[in-house]
Amino acid sequence: MIGRWLVAMGVAAAAAAPPAWTPPRTPDGRPDLQGIWTNATITPLERPRELGAKEYYTEEEAAEYRKKALVPQSTAERGGTEAHYEFTQFGLDRSQAQIAFSMRTSMIVGPEGRVPPVTAEAQQRNAERAARNKGHEFDGPENRTIQERCIVWGNEGPPMLPPGYNSFLQIVQTPAYVAIMQEMIHDARIIPLDGSAHPPRSVRRWLGDSRGRWEGDTLVVDTTNFTDQTNFRGSRENLHVVERFTRVDDATIRYEFTVDDPTTWAKPWSAELPLVKDKGPIYEYACHEANYGLANNLRGARAKEKAEEAKTGKKDPQ
Amino acid sequence: MPKRAAIALAAATMLLTAAPAPAHHAFSSEFDVEKPLRLQGVVTVMEWVNPHSWVHVDVKSPEGTANWMVEGGSPNQLLRLGFTKNALMPGMEIVVTGFQAKDGTNKAVGRDLTFADGRKLFLSESAAGVQK
Repeated sequence: MIGRWLVAMGVAAAAAAPPAWTPPRTPDGRPDLQGIWTNATITPLERPRELGAKEYYTEEEAAEYRKKALVPQSTAERGGTEAHYEFTQFGLDRSQAQIAFSMRTSMIVGPEGRVPPVTAEAQQRNAERAARNKGHEFDGPENRTIQERCIVWGNEGPPMLPPGYNSFLQIVQTPAYVAIMQEMIHDARIIPLDGSAHPPRSVRRWLGDSRGRWEGDTLVVDTTNFTDQTNFRGSRENLHVVERFTRVDDATIRYEFTVDDPTTWAKPWSAELPLVKDKGPIYEYACHEANYGLANNLRGARAKEKAEEAKTGKKDPQ
Repeated sequence: MPKRAAIALAAATMLLTAAPAPAHHAFSSEFDVEKPLRLQGVVTVMEWVNPHSWVHVDVKSPEGTANWMVEGGSPNQLLRLGFTKNALMPGMEIVVTGFQAKDGTNKAVGRDLTFADGRKLFLSESAAGVQK
């Protein structure tokens, strides 16, 4: 037990040590973060409870975990519905993608390894919001999720979490701006580095307002001004995200983030995951182009209402 | 990539506790698990589009020919695996097992897509053999 603990500590110390490696630099002397990166992972956001405070796997444990995690699973096993295409048949399961492996047992760092409990205030707020849509989920497009409407993909953030498939992003950099484009679902954040402040709170954006700065060789991006339709694990317009991008070797950016929202969580929490270089290309994901699923869902609901009317002779009160 | 897939297939079959599949939209409300179907027919169009690809198939029956639309996965990773837009061309005969849309029209989700001889349509091992 003590031996295993020392190994874990050793890994932790190695991960935290300042890198002897020197990053490639842009002409203005900043670390060059540009390129196409993947954040596809087998590491869960939250640590499985049975692992307790164990933050890192040993080499042997990590190898065993990878072996198990990369066995293709049927969609029914993954998502619980038979009425779904097979991820394996479209190359969308993890065994057919490049994975950014980590020794971590969870993306969330620290002994707890889990999202702090949601405050009573936030639980009530989110329950009231859900109650307003209850029974009206299929009334019209506005009742559907912003993800299904191709507005913002759930894991785009910030913070940027792996979307499950097509987990690629591209970073482009100038002295004045950094732009980050995520394949899912083709949105770009254009982040000024000029030291300017966030706009007034009355200005709200789907991906928030991001402002960046360099702290040594780390790019730090601060994001606020989300909309009230943002939903990051129950946090909405008061979400505050700080991301840190550090190149740690030729193939890897260490991506760290801290999220804070006193109206949702009792305390801030932090996570870390690698971004691994990919040869590319990144592909267009024009989500609106053929989003037939949205209309099919609404048509399915209308057909169900008609069938019920025919059976009962009563019109749907909605 | 074929090597990687082969290794994964050969690996132990232990299951992990998996996160729910990150489907783009609610398949369980779009398609009806009470309406399973099997379609055999000839491809008329493959729409290489997001968020989901759609294969159009002409299915013959004693009543005549009906055109069905079958929903599949995002095509982006197929391109990464080496498939091209020539991988599924009009005129190819395929078999689809899946479920019909709840609106009762000729739309379905394709659970399994195979050629008439039983080969799976899109698996990484077969990408090397497709027409580039």
